[in-house]
Amino acid sequence: MFKRFFLLALASVSLAAAAADDGKVKSLLKQADVYRLAMESGRVETEVRTFKAGVPDKTRLYAVYLKPGRRSLVLFRTPSERGQKMLMLGDDYWLMMPSSQRPLRITAMQKLLGEASTGDVATMTWGEDYDGQQVGEETIDGVPCLKLDLVGQRKGVSYPRIVLYLAKKGHHPVQAELYVASDKLAKLARFKLGDVDGRKQVTVMTLIDHLQKDRSTEVHYLSRTDKTLSDDYFNPAFLVRADVTQ
Amino acid sequence: MKSPYHQRRLLQGFAAMLSVAAALPASAADDAPDFGWTTRFVGEGHELRRDSPFAAGLDLTSFGRDRYRIEQELRGRAGPVSLLLTATESGQEGAKPAGRFVVNEAYADFSVGGERFTVGKKVLSGDVGYAFRPIDVLQRESRMQMMPPQLEGIPMLSWDNFSTDGAWSLVIANPGHQRRGEAREDGSVAVKLYRRVASADFHGVLRNSKRYGLEAGAAASVVPGDALELHASLLVQRRGERRLPLSDTASIGALLNADGALVTETIASPRKVLLGGTWTTEGGFSMLGEFWWDGTAPAAADWQRLKRQAAQRAALLGVPGVPAAAVAGATAASMRMFDQGNLAQRGMLTRLAWADPGGRWSASADMLKSLGDGGWTLTTAVGWQGEKLRIDAGLRRYGGPADSAYRLLPERAAAFVGLSLAY
Repeated sequence: MFKRFFLLALASVSLAAAAADDGKVKSLLKQADVYRLAMESGRVETEVRTFKAGVPDKTRLYAVYLKPGRRSLVLFRTPSERGQKMLMLGDDYWLMMPSSQRPLRITAMQKLLGEASTGDVATMTWGEDYDGQQVGEETIDGVPCLKLDLVGQRKGVSYPRIVLYLAKKGHHPVQAELYVASDKLAKLARFKLGDVDGRKQVTVMTLIDHLQKDRSTEVHYLSRTDKTLSDDYFNPAFLVRADVTQ
Repeated sequence: MKSPYHQRRLLQGFAAMLSVAAALPASAADDAPDFGWTTRFVGEGHELRRDSPFAAGLDLTSFGRDRYRIEQELRGRAGPVSLLLTATESGQEGAKPAGRFVVNEAYADFSVGGERFTVGKKVLSGDVGYAFRPIDVLQRESRMQMMPPQLEGIPMLSWDNFSTDGAWSLVIANPGHQRRGEAREDGSVAVKLYRRVASADFHGVLRNSKRYGLEAGAAASVVPGDALELHASLLVQRRGERRLPLSDTASIGALLNADGALVTETIASPRKVLLGGTWTTEGGFSMLGEFWWDGTAPAAADWQRLKRQAAQRAALLGVPGVPAAAVAGATAASMRMFDQGNLAQRGMLTRLAWADPGGRWSASADMLKSLGDGGWTLTTAVGWQGEKLRIDAGLRRYGGPADSAYRLLPERAAAFVGLSLAY
């Protein structure tokens, strides 16, 4: 009798601890997100530099408009890509090429192709898409970190699993291991903080490619402004309009 | 071809429309002017079929004569006004280089009282497919060209309305026009509809024009999984048109009449259907497959008749009293049957493509096959994208049974190389 009671109590305590841990992880992710995107809606100017065997390969410029509800509009600003637009509404994606002026629905796999997967540029938060648990503590580059094992909460996320390291002090992101659907480590992300308008923000995300061994990418966040667009702009049929080109 | 007077009037009209629109508030007010410049060179080589049934008229056509094209392109936007201008020098075998300046697009997007409008000249492509686009009823984009020049827009005025998951547009295309030489130049009124439901897009279009009467179309694109996309498109027209050879009983006089080398047939209630899908892998490979039926394209029997008539005309060469020039002229005129948008009534496209995950290299192989007569075109291409420079190169070959449409083309193969530099 006593043994049964003890086991029941132990199970209850474990469940309560798991629930508390779940809430704690969500809270940690929200804190970490603030270092990447402090506002709910806004425009982020991004420069992506790709490297091959450590040698600069290409530079690409994007303007990304973000809205709550996992909505983002990516405008390609490099001369060779000028006029291209990509719209992401949750798990649905559209691409518009300037040569034909018709929005094409594309698959998650097509979104991942190309340089520096546009998903890496357009996804600025973890809180809405991931949940998981703290699985330990580790020191990364001299920074004591909490180690979180995160699982995507929807099918369209670029990386179904992420192992995220957040600084114990301040909970800013330090490193992330990004896994593809086959649970292969695809990229290792490192985050560099800088002072932006008096606030600590991620200014550079470095992605070391583990699938293509000699490639790496630096995503530089050049500016973040609270410029928002009306909901019309996040309608696929609106992509053919030129109201926003930059 | 429009006269200089008409071109001047057209430009004046655009300038007036754009200046009015420029004075109206843009939808996104504070964007600075943004323009880009691209220089493009396209070189082509063609292998002609000198033993073609159309050999007598070949020298009077432009088949296989294109050698190069140098394009300067300005694309961008200032305030509500968007521009796409191209200046092109092109060279053909046996001809002096020719220059051409085109206002491909010049339009303004603006809002009045919360409603959105567009006025000017704009590319109005539509539909969900690649090889054939039944509901592309406004732009009527030519398909499967090798290194095509930029599309030229259509003079238009549209009123657009957007909701969270849908949109409608009322479009007046080529205002003031009735029926013109080409269908895309006809005046028309169209309503376009769009609706998003979960992972599917639904498109609808209704268009009315003097040439075709009422056209009603619908298309859908669905993404059922991470790697698969499926699409379908259907158009029903009140009437359609196609150019066909003369009847088999045509007299010698009729066969030698260049102005009447083809007849335009009106078809009651033709239908156009396309079904297709795309599969993409993690490694950067993608496979596209499409099947279509085009009720306005010539049938296999029409191509066979065209071949018979080409042989009949060729047989008249050297006959006393029959001028060789008349034979050549009528033969060349009959080759305009190849200018129709779709040469195959029942067709299939398969495309295997690969894109380097690093974004530098791409390669593709396309097989376009007519299921009615067995003719085919095979195109292979590679591309390289640098920081500003893009290089493309490819080969195309035409083949099939001797009386199939693609095999009847007086060209056996073509090669191209393209270089473009963007600033």
